Amino acid sequence: MGKFKHPGPGFFPFGLAVILAFLALALILQSRRKEEVPAPFWPERTWRRPLLGAAVFLLYAFSLGYLGFILTTCLFLVVWMWGVERIRWLTIITISIGVTAVLYFIFEYFLEVPLPTGFWS
Amino acid sequence: MSEIWAMFQGLGSGFGIAFSLNNLTFAFIGAVLGTVVGILPGLGPAATISLLLPLSFKIGSPVTSIIMMAGIFYGAMYGGSTTSILVNIPGEAASVVTCIDGYQMALKGRAGPALGMSAIGSFIAGTIGVIGLTFVAPPLAEFALQFGPPEYFALTLLGLVMATLLGEGSAVKGLIMVVLGLLLGSVGLDPISGAIRFTWGLHMLQEGIDFVTLAMGMFGVGEIFYNLEKALKTELVTRKITHLWPTLKDWADSKWAVIRGSFIGFFIGILPGGGAVISSLVSYAVEKKVSKHPEEFGKGAIQGVAGPESANNSAASASFIPLLTLGIPGNAAIAMIFAALLIQGVQPGPFLITEKPDIFWGVVASMYIGNVMLLILNLPMVGLWVQLLRVPYAILAPIIVLFCCVGVYSIRNTVFDIYVMGIFGVIGYILRKVKLEPGPMILAFVLGPIMERAIRQALLISAGSPLIFFTRPISGTLMGGLILFFVLQAFFTLRNRKKVPGQ
Amino acid sequence: MKSKILGWMVLCFFLFLPAAAGAAEKFPAKAIELVVPFAAGGSTDVLARLVAKYAPKYFEKPLVVVNKPGGGGITGTEGVVRSKPDGYTLYVGYGSGHDLVTPHFQKMPYATFHDLLPVCRLSVHSIVMIIRSNAPYKTLKEFIDWGRTKEQVTASVSTKAGSVDIVFQAVGKATGLKMVTVPFRGGAESVTAIIGGQTDCGGNHPSEIISHIKAGRLVPIAVALEARDPALPDVPTFRELGYNVVAVGSVKGVAAPKGTPPEVIGYLTERFKKVCEDPEFIKSMKDIGQPVMYQGPQEFGKYLKDGFEDYGKLIKEFNIKLE
Repeated sequence: MGKFKHPGPGFFPFGLAVILAFLALALILQSRRKEEVPAPFWPERTWRRPLLGAAVFLLYAFSLGYLGFILTTCLFLVVWMWGVERIRWLTIITISIGVTAVLYFIFEYFLEVPLPTGFWS
Repeated sequence: MSEIWAMFQGLGSGFGIAFSLNNLTFAFIGAVLGTVVGILPGLGPAATISLLLPLSFKIGSPVTSIIMMAGIFYGAMYGGSTTSILVNIPGEAASVVTCIDGYQMALKGRAGPALGMSAIGSFIAGTIGVIGLTFVAPPLAEFALQFGPPEYFALTLLGLVMATLLGEGSAVKGLIMVVLGLLLGSVGLDPISGAIRFTWGLHMLQEGIDFVTLAMGMFGVGEIFYNLEKALKTELVTRKITHLWPTLKDWADSKWAVIRGSFIGFFIGILPGGGAVISSLVSYAVEKKVSKHPEEFGKGAIQGVAGPESANNSAASASFIPLLTLGIPGNAAIAMIFAALLIQGVQPGPFLITEKPDIFWGVVASMYIGNVMLLILNLPMVGLWVQLLRVPYAILAPIIVLFCCVGVYSIRNTVFDIYVMGIFGVIGYILRKVKLEPGPMILAFVLGPIMERAIRQALLISAGSPLIFFTRPISGTLMGGLILFFVLQAFFTLRNRKKVPGQ
Repeated sequence: MKSKILGWMVLCFFLFLPAAAGAAEKFPAKAIELVVPFAAGGSTDVLARLVAKYAPKYFEKPLVVVNKPGGGGITGTEGVVRSKPDGYTLYVGYGSGHDLVTPHFQKMPYATFHDLLPVCRLSVHSIVMIIRSNAPYKTLKEFIDWGRTKEQVTASVSTKAGSVDIVFQAVGKATGLKMVTVPFRGGAESVTAIIGGQTDCGGNHPSEIISHIKAGRLVPIAVALEARDPALPDVPTFRELGYNVVAVGSVKGVAAPKGTPPEVIGYLTERFKKVCEDPEFIKSMKDIGQPVMYQGPQEFGKYLKDGFEDYGKLIKEFNIKLE
């Protein structure tokens, strides 16, 4: 951790941890004083859709390396709009293809950022 | 007196140079590129300029290439606020503060005025910044040299204190977020000793967490996860979108915020390192303090947008000062411009203005013109951007997520960053549920490493004595001001508490 | 019908033949990447870009500079080490702090001298000790006398445990002063610090300080090299002043990953040599304080190994430790 004369790498984080501990204490004390009615975090099981969204996101990140950008992105949009939001098929298809194309052009051509190609390369 | 006349002469010749068709074209190209880059997540002005460096040789003239690069730089500053206002995602650290009230305004159907005021304020501030550059650059730059580690520590501390005040919740909550942000900032290689911290052996974390990844995750993805709960089938903004332009009342409300922001940004922006970020923070805090309706801040007060936006734009102009007068680059983007100049045989430094006045004045003049160009470019686009909010959120949401993913990927070409962003998305979501503000956290994340480096360097210089922060004039003043601030705050809080009966 | 298809196939085969031959065509068939493992704008980056600027005169394909900063230079270098050894990915900056100094202190993810092949040396960035022009001391001797009266003297350096840091710790030990090195984020920041008087002295490369010397803000008082640096011919070496602090500074050369074919290296060496002999290139380099010091692969390789050992000796002799 080092001394004051020669602060080491642990100096800062340790100090922060100490402060954090005090703050957590303060927060607890503070919440005790107020008369709050504890509201439920997730009324009516609303945790479903965020979880679904997170799952689709995870799947997307995972598949990028295998399927390449174009395919995965298209699929991502399709799955999201169908599974998470439930939209009409025509809209899903047009938007999926359209957005994928636009993103591809902006990043791969215009900005010359190499996008993952999966097993296509 | 003759000095001032000489300056006008120089400026005049500079305008002559800047108005050449060649230079105008490249100024325009730079401005457009910069705006696009500012809006798109991931790529920042520094990276864009480095991509275009080889092109700048082909252009031939050093004046023209700096003009273009300068255009990119403050174009990016203009563009950065667009995503902050529309979708609550800060394009760069200096735009985080704009998210707070800007997004709220958008939700209330006032995205147009927010964007418009931001553009106008940026224009005025940028121009004031360039005027300042023209007249007071050299002495100010000398003053900036006096800022050493103790001063930086005091300044970043000031910025952090301002950050805790940003949120609506209690100060304790704000502080917790700040501390968390500071801890996040220490992930990776320790800048001073090279020791590796908090990486759990993951090679990818060695450089620390990138700002964009954190911001996209906590602000972008997190917000979307949060909104998913509500099953929004309609547009994000259900209230009728009112005027597209700022009203006269908006003008009247914001004009002082703009002026104050411009000056704050100019003086703090000269300092190398976090200048723009700190100035946007200070501007917000100042506006909140002097406002007659402080309770509106956080709910869509236009001064909360006008002030910080002006501040970060005049800071952008001011950051050219150390480059052009002392030959010292203040941030990554300016460092690129510095390198480009070197390669073209131009030595930025105190002699630039005497040896190559055409370059110096040509650039300064083009900055004036650039600001005008950006205003003309951005104002009509306001209508376009606002239409974006009309898209049903159900469709908009995955597109935003996608933009974030691609943007984050473009930084290091690794999917790992997307995962990290996802994790921060979840964290951002949870934070929103427990009503903790992500804003102070991300600001602490940015300012933290600067502050830590500063305190350790300062202690090395002072051989361990903390007195150094108080004995040096500038840092002493800043620290003194901070202490005074705390004392006053405590005093008022205690006084108010006594007034509340019972409890 | 069958013969028609056959005819088409044969035609296509002949059409593809040149393409296939093209793949085995002479080097270079496409742009060559120059990887700079430091942030854009630094001295190595400028050097690489300058080389790339004059390259089209001598190379058939363009040289493209790519920045891969991180880990003090290790990340980008490792990237080149692991890349395909076909001559299209080169490392510029071979001989920097992380090549010659860091391996003495920590384990490296690759073997600096086995996994990389020297192509040529471009320049040498020596380490110069500078003081403010308005300081109460004007020469090294005066600085030492002044320093003896203080509890400690501070030196601004560009990176912790970099070449400059190590050399200054050696200077401290050699002169008997308590020298505390204060690291900053790179050469530009450390120069700003010494100009502003945040530290008592500073250590930098000539390219970082030449404009400030010209402006009269900084005064170089010694250089840690065998012989005087051609970029600053009036500055005495530490050895001349009686202190045996000698190092190779930060060497800047080009390297290719192990396994790159010798013909490719030969081609590269020859062309880089031509660039180094170009009078405009030489002048541009001189203007920014980076003297052109070309060396062919064999001599360069030896130079680096000697430099590496010299640092080792310095560290041992002055008992320099990483805190």
